[in-house]
Amino acid sequence: MPIAENLPDLLLEETVNRAVSDVFSTMLSTDAVPVSSIDLGKALILDAPHVVGTVGFIGEMKGLIYLYFREDFAEKCARDMLSMTTQELIEAGEDVINDAVGEITNMTVGTFKNQLADRGSPCRLTIPSIMRGSHFHVEPIREASRRVFRYKIQDHLLTVDLMMQPGE
Amino acid sequence: MRYKLLTVDDSKTVRIIVKKAFKLYDCEILEAGNGVEGLAVAAKEKPSLILLDITMPVMDGVEMLTKLKSDPELKGIPVIMLTAEGGRDNVLKIAKIGVRDYMVKPFKEDVLIQKVGRIIDLKPISESPTKAKSIFDAANILVVEDKPAIFRQIQTGLEHTPWKVHGVATTGEAIDSCDQTPVDLIIISLSLPEQAAFTLFRVLRSNLKTKYTPIFGLVVKTDTAMQSQGQQMGFTALVTKPLDVPELESKIARAMNLDTSERYFRTTENTLIMQLPKNCTSHVINEAQTHLKGKIANAIDAGIGQMIFDLNEVTRLDMAAIKLLISAMQACREVTLRFAILGSESLAEECQGYEDTHGWQFHETMEAAEQALSGAPGELVGSAGS
Repeated sequence: MPIAENLPDLLLEETVNRAVSDVFSTMLSTDAVPVSSIDLGKALILDAPHVVGTVGFIGEMKGLIYLYFREDFAEKCARDMLSMTTQELIEAGEDVINDAVGEITNMTVGTFKNQLADRGSPCRLTIPSIMRGSHFHVEPIREASRRVFRYKIQDHLLTVDLMMQPGE
Repeated sequence: MRYKLLTVDDSKTVRIIVKKAFKLYDCEILEAGNGVEGLAVAAKEKPSLILLDITMPVMDGVEMLTKLKSDPELKGIPVIMLTAEGGRDNVLKIAKIGVRDYMVKPFKEDVLIQKVGRIIDLKPISESPTKAKSIFDAANILVVEDKPAIFRQIQTGLEHTPWKVHGVATTGEAIDSCDQTPVDLIIISLSLPEQAAFTLFRVLRSNLKTKYTPIFGLVVKTDTAMQSQGQQMGFTALVTKPLDVPELESKIARAMNLDTSERYFRTTENTLIMQLPKNCTSHVINEAQTHLKGKIANAIDAGIGQMIFDLNEVTRLDMAAIKLLISAMQACREVTLRFAILGSESLAEECQGYEDTHGWQFHETMEAAEQALSGAPGELVGSAGS
């Protein structure tokens, strides 16, 4: 079953792929190679400490997108995006890593929802938030559809968790 | 005037990226984390331009923009939206409130710099503003010329300089080359097909990387119409074909604001030496004359008490060179700087034939000249002949 009536699965996948690819190539000069796309009904299992960015979108479609970064990948993204050394990043503290992950998530969800808007489903973004930890899981409410996309970015894996349902 | 750029974004990451993007430009970056802070900083600092996000806590970018445009003191400040909120309808709605440009995140730093550069006159910070580059420093010169023979003439003519001369045949290659490697000076053939030189000139002047780079037009000496067009367009200088390489070199040095004095003047522990090259063209004489009094003043200031005119490379002296030497000798006399002339026997003989120079005494080696100076304390060595 498609996640939304006007958005077939293949188009949804292309929309998410383009959003992730645009952000990582523009801001971090690296490719994001799609590895898998699955219709996930159960919780994601975390195998290590993660930094997870979330941004919502509200409008004709509404939903949440989570970007899961393992801690070392989150640090690398922050370092590369801000042209900081490891030592500078340590001195700047966790907040800078959280903010960088939040901004990557914001840009990714923004690019995703701008494509929805151009297809006639205008939405607005929410402010990003960050979760950190090794032992938590996110479950969607029953009405929402969920897709999980995975991308290989250099030696790291990025997981994009999309929950979505028709809006008001 | 130093420009002030205000970045209003709740993401510290974006503010850091903006700050980093403009660190090579002469502007100050002000920061605010939401619309309320943004309005307060704008009212206090009156920035030259605001980069404004939309989705922010406390007060979003649309509300801040609306308030800004309704304030008579702030409404003139140009605003570029820098936001993840794209989509045609969104952009159109915000454009109606009044923004100069709109950038959707993710964004490339150089695109942001270009867009800002179209609104304010961004200038790169000079790495060492007080020290002029020397004629002996390396520089990159790009020649845009579709005739290989002309390019080779320029390259060969300048091969004795430390400048790297690179050639391309088309405007597309020129733009790519300027994007990839910083260029210190560009020479464009005005006879490229379809007025391409003038189109290229406009493109280069609208690009921040080449906005202030000297651009020469290369034009046939008799083509006065084209020369006039080049001047009106604003080319830094025109170089005429057939090429006069020393003239080209001199123009390049002037356009790049190079200190050419080291080509003619140097100092040892206690001697100022003025060395003239084999070909004393009018450009050479003018350059040496320009630096002469300053160099003598600096020498006196540094406690140097003698000067040697090194004419060893000079094969013959014309009136312009003789006038330069006479004026240099006069300048030495005025500050009681002893001087001697170093030059070949044939040059000495040539000088015997002129009224102005027949009394000049020449020394064939530097040691002989220095010895003559040390052997005559307090006296002027050499005669100006009058």
